[in-house]
Amino acid sequence: MKKIRIGHKSTQRQQRWFVGLMVILFFPCFFYLKLDLNQFKDGLHQIPHIANMMMQMSFDQFPDLMDGLLTSLIIAFLTVVISVVISFFLAFVIATNTAPVPLLAKIIRAIIVIIRTIPVTIWVLLAVASIGFGSMAGVLGLIFPTVAFLTRVFSDQIDEAGKDIIEAVKAVGGGWWNLVFNGVTPQLMTAFLASIAFNFEITVAETVILGIVGAGGIGVLLQEYISFYDFKPLTLGILIVFITLFLLEMTTNLIRLRLSGRGHK
Amino acid sequence: MKPMLQINSLKKQYGSSTVALNGIDLEVHPNEFIAVIGPSGAGKSTLLRCINRLIDPTEGSISFQGQEIVGAGKKQLRQIRSQIGMIFQHYNLVDRLSVLENVLHGRLGQMSAFNGVFSRYSEADKLAAIALLEKLGLEEQIYKRADELSGGQKQRVGICRALAQKPSLILADEPIASLDPNSSRIVMDSLHANCIEQGIACLVNLHQVDVAKRYATRIVGIKSGKVVFDGKPEELTDRMTQHIYEGKEHQMFQQGVPVEQAV
Ligand SMILES: Nc1ncnc2c1ncn2[C@@H]1O[C@H](COP(=O)(O)OP(=O)(O)O)[C@@H](O)[C@H]1O
Ligand SMILES: [Mg+2]
Repeated sequence: MKKIRIGHKSTQRQQRWFVGLMVILFFPCFFYLKLDLNQFKDGLHQIPHIANMMMQMSFDQFPDLMDGLLTSLIIAFLTVVISVVISFFLAFVIATNTAPVPLLAKIIRAIIVIIRTIPVTIWVLLAVASIGFGSMAGVLGLIFPTVAFLTRVFSDQIDEAGKDIIEAVKAVGGGWWNLVFNGVTPQLMTAFLASIAFNFEITVAETVILGIVGAGGIGVLLQEYISFYDFKPLTLGILIVFITLFLLEMTTNLIRLRLSGRGHK
Repeated sequence: MKPMLQINSLKKQYGSSTVALNGIDLEVHPNEFIAVIGPSGAGKSTLLRCINRLIDPTEGSISFQGQEIVGAGKKQLRQIRSQIGMIFQHYNLVDRLSVLENVLHGRLGQMSAFNGVFSRYSEADKLAAIALLEKLGLEEQIYKRADELSGGQKQRVGICRALAQKPSLILADEPIASLDPNSSRIVMDSLHANCIEQGIACLVNLHQVDVAKRYATRIVGIKSGKVVFDGKPEELTDRMTQHIYEGKEHQMFQQGVPVEQAV
């Protein structure tokens, strides 16, 4: 007896195509890179050795590392504060319900898409290239992608959750500034704060990594240790970064939980 | 008597195919309490939102107290809107502000942007807002956050906000569609009593024909974007009601308008 079909035909076909294509592409890609299994095996032998070196953690560099960490956190903080101020206004300029000049909104949206297609690393490299190594380059380079990200997030929140409020403020004869400050901002404040907390977390992680390309902070130290095969302080550095990011994630999660908890009351 | 609101051959088309309003003619006189009835998707919400231009009509003219709304510039439009109160099905309050602040929002249209943004309401406005809240039985709720209220209380705050505008016309879009019968009665009573007392004309969209008949001085039946009935409540026969709501099945199933979207 013929079995009864239960799935959605075109969805299943799409999925089959997708998996098939991946399998077909895998082999040419594999050989293109000439992935060498021997190199891989040699690398495996090295692991105990490197692990051993990394186990000999030294605290000699601890003050330097903490100093670097503080710099990284400050870079991230400044980046986020400046970006929040810029994005807050840009978001209201581009959100569909509040855009004062639709053409301007379109242009800014297009610019944001362009900024976001360029990886953060490239932005920081550009900043380093134009103003030299250091924290300033970090802040400058991170501002572009961060503003783009926050503007996008804020404007989505405005369009999604602010619709009813915007209608109400418009209906009483309120103007643009009233929409922004009397209606949407109080309504969405907690949502905005949650996004900012989330963004701060991402930015700290980015700052650490981007120190490696010269944006200042603890990443610069890590980069030095790696290039001199100086594994002892490297281990400590990685540990510090790990603990910081872990604590940060815990805190932002807690903040977001509290914010959303209050929102549901 | 001269109409305070005159709508002539009003049309609204969404996209290229959905005709929500297909030539509406309507006059509203002072002191009228008009119920607009009709099935989901008939165009009731669109009609109300065209009157204060929350939606821009495609064609036609709307004149409110001698001013043309359809072509009005930004500033004039704000001034006109400030004289028209609006009440929403989902209350549209700012959840995180106090009840009093929400009511005071009714004053924003008549304040400078600076005073509005910094919430510098006059003491007279505050007193008036508190008086309104007391009048609608919300004296206990004045300093509560808006999202701590029940649906019926929220809608009464919505009414207070509209009344705080000191409007000459109130538009209410399904004000009781999300409320239980008891709250519905309180809300409709408050709205009706205040409009009559203060000589505010009111256009209220309703699903329920019995509610419309109980409160309205006049009923307007809308079907597929057209006025198919306009008369006194006692003139609305059962046959007429059936005719108005007959379109419902037709609209929902043959044109494929999803129920949620149309509600
Ligand atoms: N924003 C919109 N975009 C497209 N179509 C819409 C929109 N709003 C309403 N419509 C359509 O216009 C018609 C009238 O809708 P509406 O005025 O909401 O009716 P009612 O309030 O009587 O239920 C419906 O067919 C609805 O689907
Ligand atoms: Mg409706």
